[in-house]
Amino acid sequence: MLMTDDSAPFRDAFDQVLATVAEPAWLTTRRRAEMDRFALLGFPTRRQEAWRFTDLEPLIAAPPLPAPPLPAAGGGDGPAPASLAPWLLPAPTHRLVLVDGRFAPALSAGGALPTGVWLAPVAETLRRRPDMLEGAFGDGEEAFAALNAALFTDGVVLALEPGVVLETPVEIIHHTMSAAHARLHIALGAGAQATVVETAMGTGGGWGNTVGVISLGAGAVLTHLHIQAEDPAACHTAAVRAALADQARYEACALITGGRLSRRDMAVTLAGDGAQFRLHGAYLLDGEQEATLSVRADHLGLGCRTEEVVKGVLAGASHGVFLGTVAVAPGADGTDARQLNRNLLLSPQARVDTKPELEILADDVKCSHGATVGSLDEASLFYLQARGIDPETARRMLVEAFAVDAIDAAGLPDALAALARRHLRRWLDGGAS
Amino acid sequence: MSKLLEIRGLRARIANGREVLKGIDLDVAAGEVHAIMGPNGAGKSTLSSVLAGKPGYEVTGGTVRYLGQDLLAMPADERAREGVFLAFQYPVEIPGVNNMYFLRAALNAGRRQRGQAELDAQQFLKAVRERLKLLDIGDDLLRRAVNVGFSGGEKKRNEIFQMAMLEPNLAILDETDSGLDIDALRAVSDGVNRLRDPARAIVMITHYQRLLDYIVPDRVHVLADGRIVASGDKTFAAELERTGYAYLGDAA
Repeated sequence: MLMTDDSAPFRDAFDQVLATVAEPAWLTTRRRAEMDRFALLGFPTRRQEAWRFTDLEPLIAAPPLPAPPLPAAGGGDGPAPASLAPWLLPAPTHRLVLVDGRFAPALSAGGALPTGVWLAPVAETLRRRPDMLEGAFGDGEEAFAALNAALFTDGVVLALEPGVVLETPVEIIHHTMSAAHARLHIALGAGAQATVVETAMGTGGGWGNTVGVISLGAGAVLTHLHIQAEDPAACHTAAVRAALADQARYEACALITGGRLSRRDMAVTLAGDGAQFRLHGAYLLDGEQEATLSVRADHLGLGCRTEEVVKGVLAGASHGVFLGTVAVAPGADGTDARQLNRNLLLSPQARVDTKPELEILADDVKCSHGATVGSLDEASLFYLQARGIDPETARRMLVEAFAVDAIDAAGLPDALAALARRHLRRWLDGGAS
Repeated sequence: MSKLLEIRGLRARIANGREVLKGIDLDVAAGEVHAIMGPNGAGKSTLSSVLAGKPGYEVTGGTVRYLGQDLLAMPADERAREGVFLAFQYPVEIPGVNNMYFLRAALNAGRRQRGQAELDAQQFLKAVRERLKLLDIGDDLLRRAVNVGFSGGEKKRNEIFQMAMLEPNLAILDETDSGLDIDALRAVSDGVNRLRDPARAIVMITHYQRLLDYIVPDRVHVLADGRIVASGDKTFAAELERTGYAYLGDAA
């Protein structure tokens, strides 16, 4: 091994984690393995196909390190509760706030849970029910997920017993000021149903590096809205791995507007027959922002469906990347998969790279994919102006119309759709040109 | 009657292209309905585009005064807020923008310009219902996105409905009759007739005489090769029907 490698800046933080957490021996062994793995892999480079379009320089130059834990007494410099208000769901929720990747009870409001529901921070789960997380750490992770597994201290665990329907949404706020390596574990038993809203935000240009592990039993339904609204100077990396059993449905919506550098990798395995994965989303970027949304759907079962519709709005000198792969395994007949990535460039400096791909090894499949890149329609702009609407408002109306479709088509529950629309409007007010 | 619109020696070309308008003179007074007829390529649609401020055209000479102001100096959106309305020959479909949302934004933009209070949702709905009743059209068009999935006739009726809502001083109807069957033509014409007003001027541009059977103009002009070559009162249209444009072109 080389004398120095990409893991060097994280060694102290890693030792600190090992010194402070009290956890089962298997996990410590796991952490060491993951740290070694990251040391071996290093940060991805543009020579790797999946990272060809992503510029990690803003992160690698000076990766933010986890801040020491806030004093247990709750002194600390956490966010004021009022600063979270604009980001909260306008409805009753089970709310868990993570500040720099650690559960912040003073900002959270869990509420009473029905029987058959486990909703708790990862650290608490490791104390009380470590068995729930044994085996929830994958082998052979990618670099960022490996670093997360080595450095995480907390996160959220949501587990539903078979048949349990959790009506009230679970709301997870990631508030990041330094660095956060949070974990999200969701396991729904057969026929269980839950709704999760995950909002990433913060101040001061930190780095949120999240890993989500989702397992849906037969017929389970998870609705998952992700709003990435990080500080404009922040870095955001997230890996989501979902496994779907027979007839399970994963309904995802991702709205990405924040961060200097953002990357969301979703890997969804449709293992059971008749499983369904739907992703609607949008990245809306300005200035020097770059965001990559990378989605891989592996079809293994019979008659599974994937539907991805991702919109991009790129202003300033921003850069959007969509990487979509649908892989149909031999024998996964009856697959129905559609991928569509549509992009709107609002300035000559904005860029987009889009790569929807199919890998089909089965016979009886229906797959389509497409990508478009365009600018605002001049005829529509003139029509609006010919009715007295000023050019700036006309442009805003057309951009909103283009992007809001990502929210409307997701078919979210009303409160979630309202939150997403509110966030879209906030972005439009903030400087879409 | 005061002159609402005064066009003097207007010359215009398609940007970096050929000259289409070669010196138009036209006066339109409040309360009047003018028809501008002529063969394809005469410059009819260019005239309406230049008056509405559509990008892609260059005015190379002449003046247009609207209520005493220099119309050509105003951007398109300001012209609209000042009361100039263009009914499009091909109304644009705008997916994702709701018809009502769009219309309320347009209406309130005009009201702000005139120093009037904006209409709230309830006042706006009331105004919508009145105009729908006036024009005898259903409210199903309003729930959809602007012109999306509308038939040709529905699009043209939507244009006239917008005109009824925005209450312009000057309405330019660009080939509003094109592509309409006889029932749709009658419905659209009835709408326009109900919007005739002593304070409002209407300029309708058409290729076909038949529109003038439904909307009877005060003045009829023939546009040929970028100039108005003949004008007359409403009986002139019937004469044109018999003689055709070719004869007039020769006579001009």
